[in-house]
Amino acid sequence: MNYILEGKNINKYYGNFKVLNEVSIAIPEGQIFGLLGPNGAGKTTLIRTLTQITAPDLGEILYKGHPLKSFKSSEFGYLPEERGLYRKMKVGEQALYLCQIKGLDKKDALAKLKPWFEKLEMESWWNKKVEELSKGMQQKLQFAITVAHNPKLLILDEPFSGFDPVNTETIKNHILDLKDAGTTIVFSTHNMASVEELCQNITLINRGENILSGSVSEIRKSFSKSLFQIQFKGSKVAFANALGFQFEIDEIFETSDHTNATVLAHQGVGSKELLSSLIQHVELISFQEKLPSMNDIFIDLIGRPQSESV
Amino acid sequence: MGTNKIGLIIRREYLTRVRKKSFILMSLLGPLIMAGVLTFALWTSLEESEDQKVLVVDDNYPFFENLDGSSKLTYNIMDVSLTQGEALLEVSDYTALLYLPKNILQSKSGQLIFKKQPSIKVQRQIEQNIQQYLELSKLKEFNISEVDYRRLKAPFDLLTFQFKGAGAEAEETNILPAIVGLVFGILIYFFIFMYSVQVMRGVIEEKTNRIIEVMISSVKPFQLMMGKIIGVGAVGLTQFALWILLTIVLAVGGQFAILANKYDASQVKTPMTELVQQQVDQEQALNLTQLSQKDNLFNKIRRVNFPVMIAVFLFYFLGGYLLYSALMAAVGSAVDNDTDTQQFIFPITFPLLLAYILSFSVFENPSSDMAVWLSIIPLTSPVIMMIRVAVGIESADMWQVYLSMALLIGSFLGAVWMSGKIYRVGILMYGKKPTLREILKWINY
Repeated sequence: MNYILEGKNINKYYGNFKVLNEVSIAIPEGQIFGLLGPNGAGKTTLIRTLTQITAPDLGEILYKGHPLKSFKSSEFGYLPEERGLYRKMKVGEQALYLCQIKGLDKKDALAKLKPWFEKLEMESWWNKKVEELSKGMQQKLQFAITVAHNPKLLILDEPFSGFDPVNTETIKNHILDLKDAGTTIVFSTHNMASVEELCQNITLINRGENILSGSVSEIRKSFSKSLFQIQFKGSKVAFANALGFQFEIDEIFETSDHTNATVLAHQGVGSKELLSSLIQHVELISFQEKLPSMNDIFIDLIGRPQSESV
Repeated sequence: MGTNKIGLIIRREYLTRVRKKSFILMSLLGPLIMAGVLTFALWTSLEESEDQKVLVVDDNYPFFENLDGSSKLTYNIMDVSLTQGEALLEVSDYTALLYLPKNILQSKSGQLIFKKQPSIKVQRQIEQNIQQYLELSKLKEFNISEVDYRRLKAPFDLLTFQFKGAGAEAEETNILPAIVGLVFGILIYFFIFMYSVQVMRGVIEEKTNRIIEVMISSVKPFQLMMGKIIGVGAVGLTQFALWILLTIVLAVGGQFAILANKYDASQVKTPMTELVQQQVDQEQALNLTQLSQKDNLFNKIRRVNFPVMIAVFLFYFLGGYLLYSALMAAVGSAVDNDTDTQQFIFPITFPLLLAYILSFSVFENPSSDMAVWLSIIPLTSPVIMMIRVAVGIESADMWQVYLSMALLIGSFLGAVWMSGKIYRVGILMYGKKPTLREILKWINY
């Protein structure tokens, strides 16, 4: 896999407090990547070291395979969680300024900002002062400013905070469009539903340490508790007999024409054994492994700080 | 790319400030107040709102028959008694009654009875008119020509010189350069204080606005800090230039308008000229404008080398400002709001305040040991060295100036370096107000 940005064994201290302990992260190019962790886990510090805002005390950061020496503001777009604007400045003036300090000249900045102002329906705000905008409007403006210069790598720290559901959907769609256009997106959030929806790969950190890394689907599979969801027609008694000692019914209920059951497999057996024992005794309608949600995994892991890898 | 970014930051810091109403107001009000006070002082001493028509009761009539006033001050000499005169004053449009008694040559005094208090200037003019009239009549009495009399008049000025050893040219001392130096020193104090606090406010604003992290994802913290310092410094220089320019325009314009309107050339005779002269001298010292009323004005300030003073001012303002504003930027980065700044501002600005307070004693004794030391120590040198340079520094002591300048450059470089280190950590710290020890630890982060 091609990694656009890699952090290897990053250590960062604030005084005597170790904020990051041997944290590694590898962000594949062209994907939406989730950086997860509870409050205070060190996500923001990790992002700051990855973007060269603060230097790591130990460790290496590679950008496209080469050591990252300085912040590439023209290629990076960073929307920090704690974000603000100059309140007294006019919207257009401010957007231009923030694009210019990323390295665009004024004409270029204007040409790139305009489509975003149209897409996000903000044209009428151009000459307003920032302090006249609502919180949500400011968030939209900040998003437009972050993406306007077509960064190759976009780092979004809680991009949906402060948005209503309609705007959340709009921004989500724009993020997906950007991914389709080839932008790599690092997405830091607590919102696990959006992680499942958007991210292909994640890294979960807690208390400054790597907890979990890998692709979302593999992680969910690996955290499977061997629960299977089965729909069948036939006798419940026959179903229960077929399970034998290796399986256990977790939940079972009947509908008008069939029965739904959740079955827990004991150690050493899986879907193959379950299927072969059932198929002779009941008429199967559907059979699938019940995977835990990212939310379940997150809650499950945060209590246990030891490292696991997939 | 880097310099271009600093340029953009400087531009924003500069433009947002000079566009502010408060800046425009300060730029206009500063010189308006300065020039206004000076012009008002001159105006009140010269201006006479009403023409004076004076009824002169001459007990020695027709002795004062030929008494002449001016277009604004007319005398009407009458051979009446004081009582009759007073009666006439009551019914007529005379503004005052001048009573010149019989024994005027012995008593050397007269009385002015007015309806409405005339200005001191009018009283002086009447005094001068009578005095001149009496002098001229005495000249005739003693048969002395006016030309001879003018020759007899011997004006005298005392010029003081400091002894520099036999053979060495003695140095003329003059209070004026010291006053000019004091004014420049106070200006430096004022500008450094005002603009370094603005840097601190700007840093706090960026921190509380939470724009700081957006900014430093595009530029280095050091670029942001230096951009702010330079941008705000440029605002200070702009204000200084505007003040100087506007003060000159306003003061010169205002004073010429008054002088030209009220007194035509023939009117500005000896007594009046002296009065004007005093005024102008004071203004010269205070606002540094070069009002060219009389040549000897320049004689008085010939020891003040204005190009050198302006150059030294610019150096010490910039050096002092860079030093203090870098420290203030560090303070701003370390706190979350204005109220938390107090405990840090005081120790930092204390030397500046001390320099300001001691500048008055340095003004009185510019070559004392204290003055020399304060003019070398970087935190106080900007204010104190201005006064010493204005008074004049002997070539043997020039090393003190060079040392002071070198130390100032060295310490602002040091302050900028240290503050840059504190700043880059401080701007990302929120919450608990850090102690000074914690802040100093940040230097090594």
